Amino acid sequence: RSTIDVTLQESVTGLDEVVVVGYGTQQKKDVTGSVAMVDADQMNSRPNTQMGALIEGKAAGVQVLSSSGKPSQGFSIRIRGTNSITAGSEPLYVVDGVPTTDTRSINPADIQSISILKDASSAAIYGAQGANGVVLITTYKGTSDRPTVKLDVYNGFSQVWRTLPVLNGEQYRDLMTEMGKNTDWSLYNHNTDWQKEIFQNGRSQNYQLSVSGKSNKTSYYMSGGWVEQVGAVRSAQMNRYNFKINLDQEVNKWLTVGTRMAYSVYSDVDVNDNQGVDKGGVLLGALTTPPVIGIYNPDGTFTSNPFQNWENPIASTDGSNRKYKSQRVLGNVYAKIDFLKGFSFKANLGIDDRNDIYDYFLDPFLTSYGRALNGQGINNTNKTSYYIWDNTLTFNKTLGSHKIEALAGSVIQEFYWENAHIETRNFSGNGVQTTNGGSEMIAASSDKAKKRNTSFLGRVNYSFKDKYLLTVNFRADASSVFGPDNRWGYFPSSSIGWRISQEPFMQDLSFLDDLKLRAGWGVVGNDQITNYAWFGRVGSGANYPIGGSTMPGTYPSSVENRNLKWEQSEQTNVGLDFMAFRGRIQFSADVYIRNTSDLLLNAPLPRSTGFDSAIQNVGKLQNKGLEFNLTTVNVKKAINWSTNFNISFNRNKVVDLVGQEIFAGTITNRGDASLVKEGLPLGTLFGYVWGGVDPQTGSAYYIAKDGTSTFTPSADDRVVIGDANPKFIYGMTNDISYKSLSLSIFLQGSQGNDMLNASRMETEGMTGPQNQSTAVLRRWRQPGDQTDIPKASWGSYDNSRISSRFIEDGSYLRLKTVTLSYQLPKTLTEKVKMQNVKVYATGENLWTLTNYSGFDPEVNAFGTQNTAKGIDYGTYPQTRNIIFGLNITF
Amino acid sequence: CDNYLDLTPISEETSSIAYSTANQIEAALTGAYETFQSSDYYVWDQILLEDVRTDNDYAGGDNPEIFAIDLFNITPTNSRVLGWWSSLYNGILKANTVLDRIQDVTDPKLTDERRQQIKGEALFLRALHYYNLAKNWGGVPLVLESTTTTDPGKIQLPRATEAEVYAQILKDLDEAAKLLPDTYGRDATVNKARATAGAAYALAAKACAQEPAHNYAKALEYIAKVEASTANYRLLDSYADLFDGNHYNNAESILEVQYTGGSEGNWAPQMMLPPSLSGDTWRKFVVPSHNLIDAYDAEGDVVRKNASVIFEKVTDWVDEYWGNAKGSSIPFAYKMKNAMGWASTDRLYILRYGDIVLLKAEALNETGDLTDAAAEVNKIRARVNLAPLTAAQTATKDALRTAILNERRLELAQEGQRWDDLKRHNLVVSTMNNLQEIDLRTGQPTQYNVTEAKTLLPIPQQELDRNPQLVQNPL
Repeated sequence: RSTIDVTLQESVTGLDEVVVVGYGTQQKKDVTGSVAMVDADQMNSRPNTQMGALIEGKAAGVQVLSSSGKPSQGFSIRIRGTNSITAGSEPLYVVDGVPTTDTRSINPADIQSISILKDASSAAIYGAQGANGVVLITTYKGTSDRPTVKLDVYNGFSQVWRTLPVLNGEQYRDLMTEMGKNTDWSLYNHNTDWQKEIFQNGRSQNYQLSVSGKSNKTSYYMSGGWVEQVGAVRSAQMNRYNFKINLDQEVNKWLTVGTRMAYSVYSDVDVNDNQGVDKGGVLLGALTTPPVIGIYNPDGTFTSNPFQNWENPIASTDGSNRKYKSQRVLGNVYAKIDFLKGFSFKANLGIDDRNDIYDYFLDPFLTSYGRALNGQGINNTNKTSYYIWDNTLTFNKTLGSHKIEALAGSVIQEFYWENAHIETRNFSGNGVQTTNGGSEMIAASSDKAKKRNTSFLGRVNYSFKDKYLLTVNFRADASSVFGPDNRWGYFPSSSIGWRISQEPFMQDLSFLDDLKLRAGWGVVGNDQITNYAWFGRVGSGANYPIGGSTMPGTYPSSVENRNLKWEQSEQTNVGLDFMAFRGRIQFSADVYIRNTSDLLLNAPLPRSTGFDSAIQNVGKLQNKGLEFNLTTVNVKKAINWSTNFNISFNRNKVVDLVGQEIFAGTITNRGDASLVKEGLPLGTLFGYVWGGVDPQTGSAYYIAKDGTSTFTPSADDRVVIGDANPKFIYGMTNDISYKSLSLSIFLQGSQGNDMLNASRMETEGMTGPQNQSTAVLRRWRQPGDQTDIPKASWGSYDNSRISSRFIEDGSYLRLKTVTLSYQLPKTLTEKVKMQNVKVYATGENLWTLTNYSGFDPEVNAFGTQNTAKGIDYGTYPQTRNIIFGLNITF
Repeated sequence: CDNYLDLTPISEETSSIAYSTANQIEAALTGAYETFQSSDYYVWDQILLEDVRTDNDYAGGDNPEIFAIDLFNITPTNSRVLGWWSSLYNGILKANTVLDRIQDVTDPKLTDERRQQIKGEALFLRALHYYNLAKNWGGVPLVLESTTTTDPGKIQLPRATEAEVYAQILKDLDEAAKLLPDTYGRDATVNKARATAGAAYALAAKACAQEPAHNYAKALEYIAKVEASTANYRLLDSYADLFDGNHYNNAESILEVQYTGGSEGNWAPQMMLPPSLSGDTWRKFVVPSHNLIDAYDAEGDVVRKNASVIFEKVTDWVDEYWGNAKGSSIPFAYKMKNAMGWASTDRLYILRYGDIVLLKAEALNETGDLTDAAAEVNKIRARVNLAPLTAAQTATKDALRTAILNERRLELAQEGQRWDDLKRHNLVVSTMNNLQEIDLRTGQPTQYNVTEAKTLLPIPQQELDRNPQLVQNPL
């Protein structure tokens, strides 16, 4: 007998699974806070260019918001709702111990696991930075003696999944004639499909190579990769190179040193969306540019609307060059010293250094604006330097039934920003596109800013008989953005766990693997506001020519606030973990309530003060919710089928705003569409109540506050017309495998959220020479017409005010990804000395169930603004992607 | 480790140290002047309010909020209204900051003479902003100190009465005139950039005429002081020189916004000039009305018409008043003549002696001195080769008033004066409701439906939301 089959008994339940928590790891069974973990297995089912996609729909209570489908679009994460109004609400991302805010250039291929600290008791160790939750990202580490080489390759294609019907040339001419606009129509005999011109077949390619292993006392991981995306909208692009080295060296028995270093070069080309055609918006341009014009005039310049010099959308994509490029080093070095018995000291120095350059060149000939300026060159450079220096001491001891683990430490952090901006005009041509080619200097300036934090932290984990668990955290934080009197904030938390399944009276339930009740309470803080926020700042640059030369001028830019202090979130969390049938059913439920007080609110001031707003600690905000996560192994035979389902409910409410109202979400020419007010959630849509179309006059009428109908409602008649917050969000992943074939189906959805389809105001408003959607074929034309589309009204927005007419149900259920993969038989791969060869095909957004009538429901024209959500105003839609890939491991 | 956290801004100053030296308080004052460039009100929106809103011009362009100004549909949510209000009050904050902080400047480099001047300049700027607030909104909150607190009790101020605001304007200007020199030396690029005693008197004269009580006698006193100024204000020999772009900071200018091109350039001309001069082809704003062109033609006023208006055939858009088809000849506002790629050196006069001469004529007429009044008007007319006023025009106070108003219209078109003239004489409603401007799409005259209530701007809705002490104007 030459071989012995050894089957290692896998930890059947996963209770020993290591969960990454703040400044350490815990076994899953010992976790008392609310922590969601997404590991490599779950990530491999989907090819990704950004890490946000790795966790989307995978963890309850975690909402990954992508405000558009652009290749250059970063993503934004909200953990358990939006936790602030005008201060930052993005969670803290910690990459191998180095906190960061920019995740666009992090290579998902290097990520081994992501751990999301959702509740205050788990996030409190990050104190001041943890109010919005913490996302811990751990990259690979070499583990096996034999070097492992992994090659991942994929190629993909993308398209917008929907186009919208617009008027043809003849219908457009009718509409213009109806509005009294005449022209020599014989000059306008083209038939251009602008959506066809603007939308294209996007393409993506991705190549990743890594080598990892462990020899003697050295473990290593090295990788390099390149990803490129050409967007589904003309000119949109993204390109990224990544390099990564992770090394750990055991120097001797008591000393380990290591490093994690990532270098990336990221670049993209953005397209102008969220704007009307009059401001060069590409998406609305594609919808509202009439088909009767061609792309170019005979002289090579771009054509424009027959009645107004709004150029066609190609002028916006092709009339200028726009390139953003970023180089970044993110990494750390550490030393860990073990001493005495159970003591360990770790010193860690992390850096995140980034250089960004944005170059813009507006052709001096092709566009009208370019001709007026004779070309324009802009060069912006931004340099960000960050370091963190933390020292922690840990102590571990088990004494009989008592297990104790303690941690104490200190942290200092510094952020340093340097920006420069140059703008020149008057170019001789497009030969030289950098700013030195322009003869007229418009702007040349630079500025710098710094921010520092210092912290002390401590934690004690205690367990008794593996049954009763206690965690106590404390962190003291100071931030330079607050006044000297209120610089320090103190953030305590504690949580308890009771593993009921370990109790004697539960032992009869043999099917039960684990049953744990968790409860936690804690306070976390937020200081994500303007640098030097407490100072009365005096800005420069209010220069003015006196005596023929420009004199330096200053202006008061903010009101001093010595009392400015931490925004605080107090959160209580109760959770239950249940696992049975040797891990085949895993269920967890959490209920939480989070009250944020002393909001760092950029509160509006009467303009008669000369200021628009001031950052003050006013107001209260509440988020409360429920989260459920269920993982089941449904079939475990020749066919394996497992399902993960998660669903989360969050309710957000502005509790106190000292009686103020904040308006946001300004739609060009139509006013504000969002309202922040006591008693309402953030993301409340606000406007007039649509009455209908008066059959006699064709004018739109609205319902005033007193219930009467009016053609001319006043600002006071505006009411809440929608809520952009979903009732619940959910995700479901089904993994089915049979022999070498596996299929992964990931569905994701959002239910009960309203959208303001502001694009329709531009495409159904009939306010000017814009082309319109085919909905306006139903428009009112003569007295007696019964219709829902008012008459055409040149230059008047009265018929297309922000109103309930444009509110739509933004719920959707989306087949986010389907991946079918085939693993080559081992017999075959071993012949060519390979461990694993897998080919796969993935479809993304193949199918969407929604009543939303716009391009896509998963967008927001106001990006990640907390105060304006659920608004689509010509926003770059999510695209449908098909990807073919190959993974080889040897 | 608190030292580690004691960071002060690198690229900004802070209020505790930004006003310590002579140079710093000068920079704060320069910043206060910069409102002339950063506030759209001073850049060109006053042309929209004063000329587009009246019988002088139409909106043109493609902006519904500007159509609303033209057609008397200005709502409290019109974002331009908020912009005017905000930028004027921001100018007041900057002036107040200079006034508050100069007290504590101990730098010996700040001479007593210069200290007085700086105070005078800041007082003048504050008065000018309040003048623009009062004439548009009536009574407004009087903020006379720089804002250093966010305490609602201190910053939510009720409206003062219109009379109180004008009283404050005149108080500030009287004090400013005492503190300010006639000139700062021989350099016109300083004398026309900074507030002078002459500027304070000229603005005081205008405020006396414009205030609800119309104190013309007092206006005449101020005008006499303007005339007596050693700055020697006089009418230029050639009217065209005022607006050709080559004669700014001239002897007729009392105060003008200084634009030197490039980053200190004026974008307003680009908004108004025809394609041949602007280099672009979109529809322009501020289109002279038939009524204005007729007014020039009725007087045979070639000089001022050519200096104020230019006609051009356009093929890129249609104009519903001048020819609802491509290729029609359309007039354009032409007092600023050089677009220079959004960075023009062209300027609007804030105070011009020609305006003061005609104000003097008006004041003399209103106080019963018709003969001297006519003489002033004729000075203005002689310059542009027009015959003196006829006997019929000078026969009665009413007739002469009409003649002076017409003269002011032709002299000051598109300089941001027309609305004030009509309002001062209570003629807004009748003038606009009698205006016959045919919309060629319908063949009907545009109906303005002006009411007395619409002669005041609405308080911006956002301001009402932020300050519960405020009461809206009648809408």
